[in-house]
Amino acid sequence: MAPPLYLLVSPYIQPATVGKQITMNCRSEVLEVSVEGRQVDEAMLALLHTILLHRSTGKFHYKKEGTYSIGTVGTQDIDCDFIDFSFVRVSSDELDRVIRKTVGEFKDAMGNGTDGMGQISLEFYQKKKSRWPFSDECIPWEVWSIKVNVVNLANEQERQICREKVGEKLGEKVINIVEVINQHEYLPKMPTQSEVDNVFDTSLKDVQPYLYKITFQITDTLGTSVSTTMRRLIKDTLAL
Amino acid sequence: MAAHFDTEYQRLEASYSDSPPGEENLLVHVPDGNKLPWHHIENLDLFFQRVYNLHQKNGFTCMLLGEVFELVQLLFVVGFTVFLANCVDYDILFANKFVNHTDSSKVTLPDAFLPVDVCSASIRDNVAVMFVLMISGVFWLHRLIKFIYNVCCYWEIRSFYTNALKMSMAELPYFTWQEVQARIVEIQKEHQICIHKKELTELDIYHRILRFKNYMVAMVNKSLLPVHFRPPLLGESVFYTRGLKYNFELIFFWGPGSLFESEWSLKPQYKRGGNRLELADKLASRILWIGIANLLLCPVVLVWQILYAFFSYTEVIKREPGSLGARCWSLYGRCYLRHFNELDHELMSRLSKGYKASSRYMNCFLSPLLTVVAKNVAFFAGSLLAVLIALTIYDEDVLAVEHVLSSITLLGVCITVCRSFIPDKHLVYCPEQLLRVILAHIHYMPDHWQGNAHRYETRDQFSQLFQYKAVFILEELISPLVTPFILIFSLRRKSLEIIDFFRNFTVEVVGVGDTCSFAQMDIRQHGHPAWMSEGKTEASIYQQAEDGKTELSLMHFAITNPQWQPPTETTHFISQLKERVQREATGDRHTLTSLSGSEPRSLIANFLAGPPSLASLHLGQNGSLTNHGPVGVSDGASALRSLSVSSMRGSCSSAHRSAGHASSASRAMPGSSTDARTASSGSSVWEGQLTSLVLSEYASTEMSIHALYIHELHKQQSGGELSRHTWHRQDSDDSSDSVTEEGGSGGGNPNPRNPIPRSHTFPITTPISSPGPIPSSNSGPNPDRGTTPGQEVAPLQSNSQRRYGGNTDSVGPGGRVVRSARVPMGGWTEEGRGGQHPETVPEEGSEDDMPPNIHKVT
Repeated sequence: MAPPLYLLVSPYIQPATVGKQITMNCRSEVLEVSVEGRQVDEAMLALLHTILLHRSTGKFHYKKEGTYSIGTVGTQDIDCDFIDFSFVRVSSDELDRVIRKTVGEFKDAMGNGTDGMGQISLEFYQKKKSRWPFSDECIPWEVWSIKVNVVNLANEQERQICREKVGEKLGEKVINIVEVINQHEYLPKMPTQSEVDNVFDTSLKDVQPYLYKITFQITDTLGTSVSTTMRRLIKDTLAL
Repeated sequence: MAAHFDTEYQRLEASYSDSPPGEENLLVHVPDGNKLPWHHIENLDLFFQRVYNLHQKNGFTCMLLGEVFELVQLLFVVGFTVFLANCVDYDILFANKFVNHTDSSKVTLPDAFLPVDVCSASIRDNVAVMFVLMISGVFWLHRLIKFIYNVCCYWEIRSFYTNALKMSMAELPYFTWQEVQARIVEIQKEHQICIHKKELTELDIYHRILRFKNYMVAMVNKSLLPVHFRPPLLGESVFYTRGLKYNFELIFFWGPGSLFESEWSLKPQYKRGGNRLELADKLASRILWIGIANLLLCPVVLVWQILYAFFSYTEVIKREPGSLGARCWSLYGRCYLRHFNELDHELMSRLSKGYKASSRYMNCFLSPLLTVVAKNVAFFAGSLLAVLIALTIYDEDVLAVEHVLSSITLLGVCITVCRSFIPDKHLVYCPEQLLRVILAHIHYMPDHWQGNAHRYETRDQFSQLFQYKAVFILEELISPLVTPFILIFSLRRKSLEIIDFFRNFTVEVVGVGDTCSFAQMDIRQHGHPAWMSEGKTEASIYQQAEDGKTELSLMHFAITNPQWQPPTETTHFISQLKERVQREATGDRHTLTSLSGSEPRSLIANFLAGPPSLASLHLGQNGSLTNHGPVGVSDGASALRSLSVSSMRGSCSSAHRSAGHASSASRAMPGSSTDARTASSGSSVWEGQLTSLVLSEYASTEMSIHALYIHELHKQQSGGELSRHTWHRQDSDDSSDSVTEEGGSGGGNPNPRNPIPRSHTFPITTPISSPGPIPSSNSGPNPDRGTTPGQEVAPLQSNSQRRYGGNTDSVGPGGRVVRSARVPMGGWTEEGRGGQHPETVPEEGSEDDMPPNIHKVT
């Protein structure tokens, strides 16, 4: 007996799932998808690449007078195998490799084929140089959290429905992402040559995304960990 | 999917890595550069707090020096005390033992010192001394680390001041906080310190600095914190010490497992009503553990406190022994009297202004019995002293007689003490007027004090706000012993109320995070009908701030921050009130020409800024007016009117000066002279002309007038029926039993029109207050303001999304929007059922669907 369709998509996919959470001084966007086990990596790749596409620039070429020109960025269409969906990504194999590696780790951590929840966060940050005793601070300015809910499907027919549904949903998500990015909100200012490493990831040779960090967590532990509590305790006792 | 498309586009084989050919045609960009690293600061709460602290400490150098000296002082005090106790041979000092000097007969100070090895041996043998030394060593190290950490942090703030705000440290003491704030607002436009908003408002900055203080003020205002006690012998008393405050903050705001997950956001589970009972249980057990920890740490904390008190106060007591008899504003008083969104320096300056009048008021109540005794003791001591002094004058060898010098000193002290109990013969106090002058500065006062100023009860209650310094120190000392018991036995019982409080009174503001909703100072949500906001407020009794806190805070904030642009309704309230006050103050309506419209304002300014005796004198003249004049003119305003009339007759030269300012100001902006002005435009007129220090003086005076006026109006409105405003609202202190007891008797109130239960009873929306339909029971538990009663509960995600559109219903251009009054769940039980029982939660089943009680205010 097939489970009703709404089980596949509810309650995690609602018409508008780009929620905003206010954290301290950093935009935070939440995307929620629910997919089948084998679709996890493709769905994640699609969303992460879409975001990174809009958060990358060409390489900067600085001139002597403190000006610079921007190189070009190639794009590439990628078709998914398990989802009826294709997306555009920056055609940079290096970037793709990095993301694939993280997504692969995420999928391994999720375990194969079982129900589960997980969350990947893509965090864009700026570095702030500090003086000697302290290490450099990384100050995030935008965090994208993608919550994944993995469902188990019984038969092929459901899989087929799911394949289409997830494709549609991902399309909506991509549009959501573009909408968010099109709002004129804070972006780090364009840096001078000496500071370019504080804003952009310059390690790749063909593309230059904003500094980013991808983290994931599997269980839905939202509480603060012991270490952060301890850090705050110490900080608070030290504060004047 | 087709793998291959035929298109005209072809892949360029050249690599992208180097710059393409034809560079001269390329767009050339100029980097904005991060010349100033002040864009996008990570922790704005901390940042603004530090900016404020540095301003209050008068710049980096002052702060640094002060801290260094404090560290040195601490070291010195400990070292010197130990030295005096262990390394001095007092027998030599007192000349009980003779030193055999060969060359001279004089005893020198070094003779009295014990040799180093003897000295250190005696220290090592003494366990108590070692213990004290160790604790103070730990304390000192802690201070040192804190100092180093702070130097690093504040160095950054210093460069923020010099580079971004363009204020050098040398001139920082001469800037007011309002000026600093204005520059921060400017900076935001350029650098985007906060990335959520294009522009910061003054309120945002205040909210960040005072986030937790606002919560504390609100909790004291709603009598949530267990600080009132009835110990067997002392009668009703308030116990609120720094240790207790520290523990409260630890539990609520930042300790491990506290309600807040970060400095700026409440944990999401506390925002939902679903499992409030479970959360309350969790909180209760946390309080229990923290209480036990307090109990275990008690001896250490006690020693610490004693040392701390010793180091902090011995020097003061030595310098001026009278200071122990002097009074100070108690910690509870500071919480009770604080407006929402009032910074420390604003509060302190206003309380300091009220200090003189307050101590005079307390001096009215000298016990006649003590006076008689003191007079006679002073007589005897005086005669002895006189004889001794006379003898000394005759022949100073008298001084060499043993104990004569010391007895002269003792007698002198004795007379000084006695004199403080003898009232001045030529002074007549009028408590009622003094209390009014006090009110002009402290702005809050329970209703029943008025007219009962001469009563001893009033004095006792006032002394809870304004206590002896000695009592303050004593309370601090016993605090480690008492605190654990308060936590375990009093606070723990209130855990459910606390959970409800944080859920119902937290709003999420874009760019600020979670703040206390009272601090929004929204008349509609938290106004009290008896305090000027009748017809405007939609708050249930649970939501109304007591003692007119919302209204007064709003006025205070609008007056101290004239640049602030409040929401339209609020602006309306402010301008309406200002207009009324001005009209009453000017008295004769027909003389409202542009000149006289502005002149009395400045006269008023001189009036209340003047010495309190003058103020009380003037108020004294008008004291009689109140008795036979319950007409529309209020007492405070009539006092002001008489003053403005009397000083218009001449005399006061400074009045002319500022009148000149004001009239030139009114010339500069002719439209703003009379009633139709809004708050901001009216104040910006002064801004142009007067320096900002004068402005702040002026603002505090204006606030005093408004406070008096609001209180007066409130008194008239409530018409002597003051059942609600019982001092302390004892009912909520012993939570559960009295709630059930009151549940039945809530309707038996003397006022039939507006049946106000005393407090915390059941959620009656006051009949006058809600223009929208009173929610039926199924929309009751949905506290979302944006939801109309008929609307079905939308799924959580989309619902919250809609609300993120930003409170459209409240300031929408389409006039009134049908809105359900926001009835919070919990804290108030429906149908007066017992407060603590799980069954009282309406509609258990639908709880999980409930959206968190958070709405955004843009």
